[in-house]
This record gives sequence, structure tokens and C-alpha cells, in this order.
Amino acid sequence: MADGTPAPDPAGFASAVRPFLLTAGRVADDGADGHWLPVETQVVATPEGLDALDRLTFEQHDIVAVCRLPQSLAEIAARLRLHLNVVRVLAEDLRAAGQLTVHVPDSGVVQDASVLRRVIDGLRAIPDARGVPSDSD
Amino acid sequence: MTATEPATVRPPLPVKMVISGGFGVGKTTAVGSISEIEPLTTEAAITEVAAGVDDLTHTPRKTTTTVAMDFGCLTIDPTLKLYLFGTPGQERFGFMWDDIVEGAVGGLVIVDTRRLDDCYAAVDYFEHKGIPFAVAANAFDGHVEHTLEEIRWALDVTEGVPVVVFDARERGSVRDALLVVLELALARTSA
Repeated sequence: MADGTPAPDPAGFASAVRPFLLTAGRVADDGADGHWLPVETQVVATPEGLDALDRLTFEQHDIVAVCRLPQSLAEIAARLRLHLNVVRVLAEDLRAAGQLTVHVPDSGVVQDASVLRRVIDGLRAIPDARGVPSDSD
Repeated sequence: MTATEPATVRPPLPVKMVISGGFGVGKTTAVGSISEIEPLTTEAAITEVAAGVDDLTHTPRKTTTTVAMDFGCLTIDPTLKLYLFGTPGQERFGFMWDDIVEGAVGGLVIVDTRRLDDCYAAVDYFEHKGIPFAVAANAFDGHVEHTLEEIRWALDVTEGVPVVVFDARERGSVRDALLVVLELALARTSA
């Protein structure tokens, strides 16, 4: 059962083979539109997914659990030490089962001038050094 | 299964930038200087095009390689999050980082002025993809070996590509280099 699973070995990545056994050999190849899910795609557990945690095992359990807060595919892969493409496949399965929502960023929206201006303004507010206190903290 | 998602958290809009350059030029240092989390590492697949095959009438031999990729992030506000992805250090030409770079708003190519040629592949890549990018010379030990004009000449980048000196260890310096890229991306939206 997954709740007894020890923390992943911090020294290295999971085996290259087992994760793909988990996906039954499926790989995250080009989707219908010819693109993989971008690495920054946001994934969030649904209430149904969190309710189902006790019934989920192994990587599926861990992915839903780590997505209580929104995570990018890359963060999920890094935190669970899974290959990115394994996460892509499993996240798609869990989305189809209603246990996750998967939010693919719209590149038109991301590259819109208003969004870029917000990023620029937000970055400008970053102090020079971490030690410098900011008002919000 | 119900189709409604009443209590599902709405995630932030992720804005992606790519930090690139040769092996050991300070990509992960730069990400770590500004990221709100310790840089994370994951394995990504990249496509390696066999060297020497650049004739488009031939099908280049391609192999997929799994490489480690470092990244970090910075929350701008609850609805907007900046992600910084470092492309894997490449000693060879022909890597394709499309899997990582697709959708990025811009790129920062870090160069070590003692080994300028290490960054050619990254410069070529961003130029080819049409992604706004700037070149940032990392001031190891507080200085760079060449003037900005010399670096620009050596890299043969167009006037539209900003070339700056920065220090990958300094948060404010990394912030300012990223701002140069974002301003360039913004200028393009109105072009």
C-alpha cells in the first residue's frame, strides 16, 4: 500500500524500466495536435481524486497526493523522481478518471502583452538579495 | 463520475523562460539565485540529431536521449507563476530541446567568456526557433574576458539580440537579465 512506501531514494532516479511497466509500455508520444503536454502544464487533484486516495496505489496515489496544491508536470516528476514522460501518461490517465485536472497553458494567453507586463512588474519587485526584507513578508 | 469540479483549486498561469548555454556556465546557479524553491531536477527526453547531417533532403539520424534538467520557479501572484528551465548542458551540437522549450516566452543564453564557442548551439537554437533571447556573459570572479562588442562579434548575433554582463550568483543580477529578455518579448508583441 502506498502509505507505507518509504520516501524515494534521494540519491538517484527511479529505475528506467519500472515506470514504463506502470504505463503498460505506453509513452507520451505526440498528442492529437502533434505536441506533448508542456513541462509547465499545471495539474491539480480534484475532490474526487483526493477522496479516491485510499484506493489508489503507487505512482497514481503519489501523483494525486502531491497535486493537492497545483504542480507543474516537471515538479511532479522531480518530486516523485519519475521520468517526465511517465508523469505525462499517468496524469492523462488520472485526468480521464476524473481524479486530476490538467491545465495546458494557452501559448497565446501566456505570450500576451498584458501577461508579460505582469511578469515584468512582478520581477521588478524582487529585491536584490534574499536577505533584504520585502513588505509582504 | 460527475463532470463538475466544485472545489478544485484553480492553478496559476505558468509562464516559462529557458536558461541555456554550454556545460558548466552557471545555468543552475542562475536558476537557484532567483527561484523560490531549491532547483529541482527531472529527467527529460531530448532528441539528438546525428552530427554532420544537415542536408534537409536526407533524413537525419535522430536518437532520443534522457538527460537531467534543472528548473525553478517564482510566484508572481496567485494567478501567475514564472518557471525557469535550464536546458541540459550540451557539449555536442544538434540537441533539440523542443520538449522543454515549446511555449517559452524567452530565453537567456549564458556564456562563459573564456569559452565562447560553447554557447553557439544555444544561440543557433533560439534564432532558429524565433524565440526572443538575450546573451548574458557570466562574470566569473567579477569580470569578463572580453568587451560586449567582442562577445557580440564573436557570437555573430544580430543587433536585436541584447548582450549583457551579469553574475549568476546575484539575485538582482539574474532578475535584471531576465527583465531584458521579457522586455524584448514584450516589444515583439507590439511589433
